[in-house]
Amino acid sequence: MKKLSVYLIITAVAAVMLYPLLWLLGASFKSNSEIFSSVWFIPDSIDLSIWKNAWETATPYTMGHYFINTFMIIIPKTVFAVISSLLAAYGFARFNFPLKRLFSSLLLIGMLMPAIVKIMPMFLFWRDTGLLDTYIPLVFPALLAEEGMFVFILIRFFNSVPREFDEAARIDGCGTMRTLFLVLLPCIKPAVTSIAVFTFLWTMNDFLNPLIIIQSVKKYPLSLALRLSVDSTGQSYEQCKIIAVSVIGLIPSITVFALAQKKFVKGITAGGLSG
Amino acid sequence: MKKIVSLFTAIFFTAVISACGKTKNEKITKPDGKLDKCTLRFSWWGGDDRHKATLEAIELWNTIHPEIEIIPEYGGWDGWTEKVSSQVSGGTEPDIMQINYDWLITLSPDGSGFYDLNELNSQLDLSCFDKDVLSFGEINGKLNAVTVSVTGRGLFYNADVYDNLGVKFPRTWDELIALGDTFRKKDLYPLDLDIQSGGTAWYLAIVYVQQLTGRDFISMDGELGFTADDIRIALDFYKEMENSGVIRNIQTRTDEDGNTALYQSPEFIGGKVAGVLEWGSSVGKYESVLPEGTLKAGPFLTSDGGNSSGWMIKPSMLYAVSKNTKYPDEAAAFMDFLLNNKECARILGTSRGIPASQSAEKSLEENGMLTGLAHESDSMLEQLDTVTISPYMELPQMKDFYNTAIEKVSYDLCDTKTAAEEMYDSVTEYLNKVKLRKH
Amino acid sequence: MKKRQYKNPTGVSKYTGLLLISPFIAGFLLFTLYPFICSFILGMTNSRTVGQTEFIGFENYKTMFGSSSFRRALEVTLKYAIILVPLKLIVSLMTAVLLNLEIKGIGFFRTAFYIPSILGANLAVVIMWQYLFTAKGLINQFLELFGASPISWYGDPDAALYIIILLRLWEFGSTMIIFLAALRDIPRELYDAAKVDGCSCTRSFFSITLPQIKGVIFINLILQTISALQEFNAPYMITSGGPLKSTYTVGMLIYDEMFKYGEIGYANAVSWVLFTVIALAVGIMYLVTGRTERETT
Repeated sequence: MKKLSVYLIITAVAAVMLYPLLWLLGASFKSNSEIFSSVWFIPDSIDLSIWKNAWETATPYTMGHYFINTFMIIIPKTVFAVISSLLAAYGFARFNFPLKRLFSSLLLIGMLMPAIVKIMPMFLFWRDTGLLDTYIPLVFPALLAEEGMFVFILIRFFNSVPREFDEAARIDGCGTMRTLFLVLLPCIKPAVTSIAVFTFLWTMNDFLNPLIIIQSVKKYPLSLALRLSVDSTGQSYEQCKIIAVSVIGLIPSITVFALAQKKFVKGITAGGLSG
Repeated sequence: MKKIVSLFTAIFFTAVISACGKTKNEKITKPDGKLDKCTLRFSWWGGDDRHKATLEAIELWNTIHPEIEIIPEYGGWDGWTEKVSSQVSGGTEPDIMQINYDWLITLSPDGSGFYDLNELNSQLDLSCFDKDVLSFGEINGKLNAVTVSVTGRGLFYNADVYDNLGVKFPRTWDELIALGDTFRKKDLYPLDLDIQSGGTAWYLAIVYVQQLTGRDFISMDGELGFTADDIRIALDFYKEMENSGVIRNIQTRTDEDGNTALYQSPEFIGGKVAGVLEWGSSVGKYESVLPEGTLKAGPFLTSDGGNSSGWMIKPSMLYAVSKNTKYPDEAAAFMDFLLNNKECARILGTSRGIPASQSAEKSLEENGMLTGLAHESDSMLEQLDTVTISPYMELPQMKDFYNTAIEKVSYDLCDTKTAAEEMYDSVTEYLNKVKLRKH
Repeated sequence: MKKRQYKNPTGVSKYTGLLLISPFIAGFLLFTLYPFICSFILGMTNSRTVGQTEFIGFENYKTMFGSSSFRRALEVTLKYAIILVPLKLIVSLMTAVLLNLEIKGIGFFRTAFYIPSILGANLAVVIMWQYLFTAKGLINQFLELFGASPISWYGDPDAALYIIILLRLWEFGSTMIIFLAALRDIPRELYDAAKVDGCSCTRSFFSITLPQIKGVIFINLILQTISALQEFNAPYMITSGGPLKSTYTVGMLIYDEMFKYGEIGYANAVSWVLFTVIALAVGIMYLVTGRTERETT
């Protein structure tokens, strides 16, 4: 009975959460006037050629090409962000070192500044290195734990793991790195997963940085390719195509999340933790 | 001691400013009169039709000039201003750019932001352009950019709604105001004006006052032509349109449409709002949400005496050459091809509006490509004694001043006189600030 | 306090930690400190997109504090953060607890609940909000059903901020994820023991769950406060800052000054004031919750 009411509640809420997605899917088959005059998501008719056009784009490249570009940024970036934040958080959480207080305050301070002020100085910096129009400016900062927030979150999760674990590992002969990867990492896997998910999703949606760094259409990531046809100053406006394109753009994010959410399963026992 | 400290501070700040700043090559490459082998970057914003047409035009160029390779850089309108201003600021802009009208002021306040095209006349044929049209791209005597197409706002109506009510499209301002009553009875509106990025509310009010007084709102070199009282008249006229039911007031409009453009609003699609003031070059969006043939161009409003002046035109976009380009001749040659080449014009069609170049326009005419609502409205506008919109009028900060005043009047926060005085002060102050950068 | 004063394990040099965080330090110097200094310097100049840059001292700050639009934006931003942050923490914690249940198909629900935050700045959201909150929208139809008078959501300067707050409330996904990750770390034995003692679900939520994750609640509080005070995107999409600037946040002001009006110097000065405001807010939270930075980090 209790279970049933839980199901009822979450199904109702999930419907509210999912409706926009269904509507988007439906709207990708609708005419401009149908889109804005009906809240119901099922289209009058289904014409798959819109999707074919959306996939082919107005450029010499298909959406597949832009997907590959995005993955060329996103995969190294996610790996780098996870490793660098993990190391930094491990250092902060488990070791004492000179100037630790200073650095931990810097970590917090770095998160307080609006990111927008970084755009121009960094653009000029990358211009001087001659690396504009490459993916390096988009990926390299992750290698140096640019996103202080991730370090901040991970430190908290490290703190929740009892120190006895480290000590036990040491007695078993584990060094600094083996302790991290063999003992601590499994304990904070959900947090690490959430960081990977955040990096993935944010990079997927990031528009302004690639817009300013990348020049060649050939190298556009998906977020730029998605807006290629959007021109509010122009003559025509095929809403359904823009929507079809944005649905295509949502697929990787949703897939990645659906796969990653398994890592948040409850049920690990305290006994299991030490294993 | 104090002196040393202040000297040190000054040196420190100069050093850091230049480190954070945009030190760049200030040397301008002179034209050498011949076309060398090179690659050029060309950037534009637009939608799919423009992208496809332009890419095809570049292919044609490659067959004629295989030694000059063109690298296209393009995208949607969102963020394009941010992109180009960062590029110009860092000196990494493409060799040839499609630019917006007000960028002339923001990116080249003194006329030295772009290459002076007068120096490139050996490759760039400007004889196909009206002198007036050319002057749109001139700053301090330097030709910074060439107009691609000219456009103006016109009135377009939902003919079905007008026919059902048995009324004709308005010809004079009085007729427009009188329509309010007829439409109100059916809970409809004959027209829509907004304070969104387009800012048609203030636009129509200016046209009204310009026609009434013969004074231009802002001159081409940024002098405010209106007095505070002229602004009051404009705001009064706006309020009269609201009160007489010609347009929805801002609160009702925002409640009904939220933040979307009119062509996305159920009120327009469903015919509750039966008219729009829009650029000829962008009216296609409105046309496509109504049944075919429903949206029709209406007459440009006049006074009772038939005075039709005061309506405005502007370049819808321009081409400019980077002042940092290493190949000015080649860039000019490519620009000439885009603007004047007949075969290229046929490929580009009206994807950038109706070409300002007579050669290109003729090519479109020969190919029967000059049809449709946009062309209809443009040719009507051509018959009138039009005023050129000052690029200063289009500055985003200025639009904020207009919309603030209109909003205050619409929400009854103050009377039109106070709102007019406030706007007059902020506009004057801002224009003075911007004009200082001219020198 | 004392608990934290531990020593490094034997055989670990005092530089090991420094070595581990060295990439972070390099990143901080290059990607945070350097742009910050630039921004501070630019804030004292009249820098624009193009043209000469001159040093003008604290002129930008003077202009800012004299400007009614800045004060108004600051008020809007503070009001927004004060209302949104607590609501969002409560909603996302409740949902996380619900989604932590072991029932069939929970993975699907987790994904569904996260989808709004993936949609973020999507057009669908803008249109969806319109269906909900415009004059004849679903919410007003509901209100009428119960005899209440419809609300002017978009057009009334007193109401518009709330539809933005509701949007951000609906997009609680990333806060929820962090809570989920923390809930997973609570040893199950604690709940089992509570059950044996006959504790109700509500009891065990307050006596086990909350104390166990209070550190994470604090982190989410900090993160949400920062992002609420920097808010820019939601009002930009939903209301463009209107009506009558009632949803115009400091974040929007910075963006407009920097990219729309090209006043780079002024935009950077405003950013520093916003930075100070956020630092104050976060500082107060640390004080009130009795935590020192050392303890959390």
